[in-house]
Amino acid sequence: MKPTKSTERTRLKVVLPGDTVSLEVTTPGITLGPGLIQAGEFITCTKAGVLVCSGSTYWIETDQKRYIPETGEHVVGRISGKGGEFYRVDVGSAHQAILPFLAFENATKKNRPNFNIGDLIYARVSLANKDMDPELQCFNPTNNKAEGFGKLEGGMVLKCSLRYCQRLLTQETDICKLLGQKLQFELSIGMNGRVWLSSDTIKHISLVYNALKQAETLNNNECKTLVSKLVV
Amino acid sequence: MSIADTYRIITVLLTLISLMSRQELIGPQGLRQDGRRANELRKIKCKPSVLSQADGSAYIEQGNTKCLAAVYGPRETRQKAQVIHNKANINVEISLAPFSMPQERKKRSKSDRRLLEIASAVKQTFEPIIMTSLFARSQIDIYLQILQFDGGTIQICINAATLALIDAGIPMQEYVCACSAGCHENHILLDLNNTEEMADTPELTVALLPKSGKFTLLQMDSRLHVDKLEPVMNLAALGCKEIYETLDETVRENVKDLFQKSSPY
Repeated sequence: MKPTKSTERTRLKVVLPGDTVSLEVTTPGITLGPGLIQAGEFITCTKAGVLVCSGSTYWIETDQKRYIPETGEHVVGRISGKGGEFYRVDVGSAHQAILPFLAFENATKKNRPNFNIGDLIYARVSLANKDMDPELQCFNPTNNKAEGFGKLEGGMVLKCSLRYCQRLLTQETDICKLLGQKLQFELSIGMNGRVWLSSDTIKHISLVYNALKQAETLNNNECKTLVSKLVV
Repeated sequence: MSIADTYRIITVLLTLISLMSRQELIGPQGLRQDGRRANELRKIKCKPSVLSQADGSAYIEQGNTKCLAAVYGPRETRQKAQVIHNKANINVEISLAPFSMPQERKKRSKSDRRLLEIASAVKQTFEPIIMTSLFARSQIDIYLQILQFDGGTIQICINAATLALIDAGIPMQEYVCACSAGCHENHILLDLNNTEEMADTPELTVALLPKSGKFTLLQMDSRLHVDKLEPVMNLAALGCKEIYETLDETVRENVKDLFQKSSPY
């Protein structure tokens, strides 16, 4: 989870595929993110959304539902199969991801994780290449610690748009903070449009689920009224 | 009444019937049957994001022709044989709702030859535009459903698919607009409806990239005098640009609306 403050980003304008962006290609250190390509001396857009700038990095924020894996992103996945040395994980992308048995904290050939098909996991994308199946790992590669990655027990999963996940992560929306003032719950936000949530009782789980689902198209003031209406 | 009289009456009736069945497409005031001028488009209404299950969807109306599009993907290919190792496979399926035509009650299957032909035209239109090389070994499904039929099937399918692909966030170099034009007794008509298509008017469908002005599709099933080809093509291209302005406005408004709704303030 990269803590990026929402204030650092500036939303420039609404763009559509084929629009040319007036950026100087020759500007040193300019980085083009998803949705922007260089065509000759111009930079054109390939997606519909809002052009965002953060420092010298530019990208297009879209309201996409389909996940395209990217190295370093955190995802919530479902174990869908088991191979000789890896699990197959469904993360919602075009291909099933691979989670090797050795990609866990303290894993050895003998000490291997034990998952069943249908189990939920929280993992980090360790390899994303368009010509290969994406690979996952369940530890932080800088210190080899699990740090919250691994099996997700209980709770339930909310499917939403990719942008909503980003907004929840960057706390651009206050819904988590507002809910947290009233009750206790746990969230694992995947960048793949899946949010796992859990709480002490089933009643609270469904409450948090409904609140998060409804807050997708609400601003902070509306979130406040929503939370006060849902939680007494 | 003599036999000759009866015969005369019958002949008059027959000529009348034949005159009625061969309707005039353009009236004396230069207006068409539905009240449009020769170079006028039908009214367009469109709305992106109408289905919550699909990755992208759109609904579009051009006059009385109505179409619904749903896009799924990039996702895993259905069959191993469909895998293309260096780019995504685009799969287009068109179906005609059984209630889409009043006169025809024949059931059309998905493998109907005419629909397959339209599907392959749509596929060919989008193949060079979608950046398929970004999604190797996967598949992009475009499902099109004609809800009401009144001519211009190819053009409405292309326009609906464009909107749905934009909604799905699939990277495209530019977006495509399609429009048809035809020629009837020295009049060049834009955006033919079903009656005009049925009157054996040669119809040319054009798909255009409005920003760069490139053509991606030119399709005609009948014969047209070569002198007429250029004006017909030019008029269709003008129609495309007009459609583009409508679509552009709707999509821009939709994106703006979406981001306003979800802004923190």
